[in-house]
Amino acid sequence: MTKQSMSKVEAHLARRYAREKRFRFYGLLSVFVGFAFLVVLFTSIISKGYTAFQQTYIQLDVTYDADILGLYDNPTESDWLYANYDGLIKAALRERFPEVTSRSEKRELYKLVSSGAKFSVRDSLDNNEELLGTTATLWVLADDDLDSVLKGHIDRTLPEADRRVKDQHLVWIDSLVENGEVEKRFNTVFFTHSASAEPEQAGVWGAIKGSFFTLIVTLVLSFPVGVAAAVYLEEFAPQNRWTDLIEVNINNLAAVPSIVFGLLGLAVFLNFMGLPRSAPLVGGLVLTLMTLPTIIISSRAALKAVPPSIREAALGMGASRMQTIFHHVLPLAMPGMLTGTIIGMAQALGESAPLLMIGMVAFVAEVPQGITDPATVLPVQIFQWADLPERGFVERTSAAIMVLLAFLIAMNAFAVYLRKRFERRW
Amino acid sequence: MNSASQTATLDQTAPAYQEDRVKVTEGVDDSHVTVGEAMLDNAKMSMRDVHVHYGDTHAIKGISLDIAPNEVMAMIGPSGCGKSTFLRCLNRMNDTIDICRVNGKIQLDDQDIYDSNLDVVALRARVGMVFQKPNPFPKSIYDNVAYGPRIHGLASNKAELDDIVENSLTKSGLWDEVKDRLDTPGTGLSGGQQQRLCIARAIAVSPEVILMDEPCSALDPIATAKIEELIGELSENFTIAIVTHSMQQAARVSQRTAYFHLGKLIEVGETSAIFTNPQHKLTEDYITGRFG
Ligand SMILES: Nc1ncnc2c1ncn2[C@@H]1O[C@H](COP(=O)(O)OP(=O)(O)OP(=O)(O)O)[C@@H](O)[C@H]1O
Ligand SMILES: [Mg+2]
Repeated sequence: MTKQSMSKVEAHLARRYAREKRFRFYGLLSVFVGFAFLVVLFTSIISKGYTAFQQTYIQLDVTYDADILGLYDNPTESDWLYANYDGLIKAALRERFPEVTSRSEKRELYKLVSSGAKFSVRDSLDNNEELLGTTATLWVLADDDLDSVLKGHIDRTLPEADRRVKDQHLVWIDSLVENGEVEKRFNTVFFTHSASAEPEQAGVWGAIKGSFFTLIVTLVLSFPVGVAAAVYLEEFAPQNRWTDLIEVNINNLAAVPSIVFGLLGLAVFLNFMGLPRSAPLVGGLVLTLMTLPTIIISSRAALKAVPPSIREAALGMGASRMQTIFHHVLPLAMPGMLTGTIIGMAQALGESAPLLMIGMVAFVAEVPQGITDPATVLPVQIFQWADLPERGFVERTSAAIMVLLAFLIAMNAFAVYLRKRFERRW
Repeated sequence: MNSASQTATLDQTAPAYQEDRVKVTEGVDDSHVTVGEAMLDNAKMSMRDVHVHYGDTHAIKGISLDIAPNEVMAMIGPSGCGKSTFLRCLNRMNDTIDICRVNGKIQLDDQDIYDSNLDVVALRARVGMVFQKPNPFPKSIYDNVAYGPRIHGLASNKAELDDIVENSLTKSGLWDEVKDRLDTPGTGLSGGQQQRLCIARAIAVSPEVILMDEPCSALDPIATAKIEELIGELSENFTIAIVTHSMQQAARVSQRTAYFHLGKLIEVGETSAIFTNPQHKLTEDYITGRFG
C-alpha cells in the first residue's frame, strides 16, 4: 500500500472509531434514561406506600361485662356471635378517658378505634363463659385517622377546620402515645383482608385471589389453544391466501385495544351466554382473547427458531411429521413458548380496562373462593383505591402497586430463568 | 457434441475459470445421453428418467442411474448441478419441500418408492441419510442412536436396545470414545465425532442404503480420513451413495462415480476409469480443472 492510501485509510479509521464511540454513547444514554425513569417510578411508589405495611394498634383494658354483652345464662352460639362487643370497647374507652362526659364528645372518642376492633375482642373471648367478668389487656385495630396522625401524614399546623383530625382527637392521641398505649405493628390485615370502606380494614388478599383465579383460567385456556394454533399454522397449514389472511389478523388482534375485548366479553359471555357477572371465569375468558395473539406469535417465532437440520434429521430417520414435531421440535421450542406465555400472563395480570367492562370493578368484600365467585383483581383494586380521598387509601394504593409489581417481577424473572435454563446449543 | 473429438483438451494448461465456464455451458443440451454404463442388471436402487422441478426450476432433467448392492457410488459435479436434489429423491426427502415435484421411476429392490402403497416412513428406515452438517439431536448420545430403533420398534426390551446402540457406535468407530459418557449430550461432541454419531444413528435401524450428502465438508482432514475409512467398512453391509466435492475423496472411497452437470447425468463409470480416462469432455474438464 502506498503512503498516500495508508493515510487515507487511517483518516477513515478515525472517523469509523468516532462513529462507533458516538453510537455506544447514545445507547448508553438511552439505557440510562430508561433506568432513571424506573428509579423515579419506584422511589415515588415505595416512598408513598411503604408506610402501609405498618398499622397502628391501641391498647385497651377490656372488661368482659356480661350485661353489656347482653349474654345471660347458657348463651347459644348465635348469642355469642351477635353479642355487643362494640359496647365493651366503648366502655373501655370511657374508662380510659373518664374526663369525657358529654354525649357528642363520647361519640368522637369512639372514633379512635376501628369498627373492625370488635372482631378481635370477640376472638379474644372465644365463646368462653369462664372469662366473663374478668378484664384483659387487648391490642385492637386503631382507626385510620389515628394511624395517619402517628405516621405524620396529618399536618398539625393547619387550622382545625382544614384538618381531617380535630383538636380533641389530637389531645387524646397524644395522651395515648405518652403512655405507650399505641403501637405500630406489621400490617397483616393488608395481606389477609379483602376490600373495605375503612382503610384500616382494607387488604389486597381478595384481589390477589381474584387475580390468581383469573390468571389460572387465562393460562388453562390460552396456553393449549395458543400452542396448538401456532403448531398448526407453522407446521401443517399450507401456505396460501387463507393462512396469510389468518396471519395478518392475528397480528392485528395483538394490537387491538384491550377495552374492545372487554366489550366483546360483555356482549358474548355475559349478555349472550349468561355467565356470572364479575366472575374470574369471565375475566379469564376475556383475558384469553387478549393474550392468545401474543402467545401464538411468540410460539410461532419459537417454532421457526428450531433449526431445520433437526427436522431433517428426524424425518431422515423415518419419523413421521407428528413424531418430528412432538419428539424434537416442540421440546426445543418450549422454552420460547413458555417465555411468550409468561409475558402474556404478565400482561394479563396488569390489565384492568377489559375487566371493568365485565363488572369486575364491583365492590367485593368477600374473598373469592372459586372462579365463579364475584371478585376483583389487583389492578382494578388499585384503580378503585386511587379514587378514594382517605390518607389510608393513598398509601394502600401504592402498597398494592408494590404487590402487583412484585408479582410482575417474579413472573418475568421466571421467564428469564426458563430461557436460561433450557437454552440449548446446536 | 460427441466424446470422440475432445482428447486435445487434456494438455491445455489454461486454468482460467472463465474459459472453463464457457466450455461447460456449451457442453450439454437436453438430448444428452449419459456416457458409460448407467444401468445394471442387479441394481439395488434404480432410477429411470427422473425429473425434478422446484416450482419453475427444472433441477433434474431426466436422469437414469442404477446403484449396485454394496457399492459406494460417488456423485460429483459443480455446485448447483442437482446432486443433493437427486440424492434426496432416493429416500423421498424432497417430499418435505412443498414446491418440489418429482417425476420418473425410482425403485428400491424392484419396488417403486413413489408407489402410493409404500409408506414413506418405512422407506426412510430402509434408506437412511447423513447430512452435510452434523445434526445430532440435542439429546444424549444414547438417545440419539436409540431414536430410530425406538420409533420403528426394533428393540423389544432395554437390553436389545443397548445392544443396538453399542453395535452402531462400534461400527461407526465411536464406541471407545463415548462409551463412558453415553448420557451426555450428542451436541457436546467434536464435529467429526458428531458426524460419526449421525452415521451411527443412521445405521442403528439397519438400513439397506445410506445416502450421504457431503458428509465431510464441515470436517478437518483427520476426521475426514476417519469417516472415509468408515465408509469403506460400511460398504460391506450397506449400499452407499455419497455426494462429494472432493475428487480425491470420490477416488478413495467409491467404486463407481457419476458426474452431474446442470441437472443432467453426463457420465458414469468405474471410479478409476472416470478419473484416469474420462470419456466426456465435460467430465474431463471438471476433473482436470480441479486437479490443475
Ligand atoms: N428448496 C429448493 N427450492 C428451490 N430450488 C432449489 C431448492 N433446492 C435446490 N434448488 C435448486 O435446484 C438446483 C440444484 O440444487 P442442488 O442443491 O441439488 O445442487 P447441488 O448439486 O447439491 O449443489 P451443491 O454442490 O452446491 O450442494 C439448483 O439450481 C438450486 O437452486
Ligand atoms: Mg448439495
